[in-house]
Amino acid sequence: MLIPHPLLGLRDSQEFTYLGDAALMQRPDPAADGAEAAFCDYVFLRDNPAGVHRELWFHEQGDRSWLVVTRDTTTHEILGAELASNLKLGAAQ
Amino acid sequence: MTDLTPVTALGGTVPRSEVFGALSITENAGLALASLSLRQGQLAPAPFGLVLPDVSQTVSTGGYGAFWTGRDQWMIEAEGQGDSDFAARLKAEVPEATVTEQTDGFAAFEIQSSAGAAPIEALMHKLVNIDPKALGVGRATRTGLEHMTVFLIRRADDRLAVIGMRTLAGSLWHALAVAARRLEA
Repeated sequence: MLIPHPLLGLRDSQEFTYLGDAALMQRPDPAADGAEAAFCDYVFLRDNPAGVHRELWFHEQGDRSWLVVTRDTTTHEILGAELASNLKLGAAQ
Repeated sequence: MTDLTPVTALGGTVPRSEVFGALSITENAGLALASLSLRQGQLAPAPFGLVLPDVSQTVSTGGYGAFWTGRDQWMIEAEGQGDSDFAARLKAEVPEATVTEQTDGFAAFEIQSSAGAAPIEALMHKLVNIDPKALGVGRATRTGLEHMTVFLIRRADDRLAVIGMRTLAGSLWHALAVAARRLEA
């Protein structure tokens, strides 16, 4: 399986380690009301979709960047990859 | 005073070197390494006159070199300065950037071909899942080699440097030597 790295081009998926759902990038605010319940959901609850899924991959044996990879969980087709730092910084603006 | 004998990454008193047909592999014990990374919003400096390269590129000038390792992050090389405090010299050049000593963490092997690019590319085909044609002269990348993480630097058509973790220097030498020996046969 090849991952289309936005900077480095197609790379072997063995160079990457997998973390999980890209929704992990939206960590709840620990100072907000109901933070404990929000963190409980954040830590323990995951969607398990059959189909298109956005997930975090770490390019460990590469440039050590975090990618958000869009993958079809039923076919393993990789539909795209973006740098997580771009998404995070873009969202903050 | 205790009399200490310096040893190379492979444990010898002199760097190991071996010839396998058209390929020779030499331990580069003199190579000093330090990583340079920028903090958010900083502009790239030019340590030792090096114009820090873009994605996957390398530059070298006058015994110094640099290769891209990640966004706003480079490895700086200095030939023959492995026994000196190179990170301190680099920090003096670029006081605003983040500099970390790397010489003690890595072992470098220089692979030289006496028959052009073909033996180097054949060796890469055996060892790494990287297109040798894409890793042309002046390019560098990090990848996996027998489950070890390595930097590959194409210094010339007939020269490739492999820089891997120092604690795994023996395993890395074994991987390179076995592959080179099989190409020779």
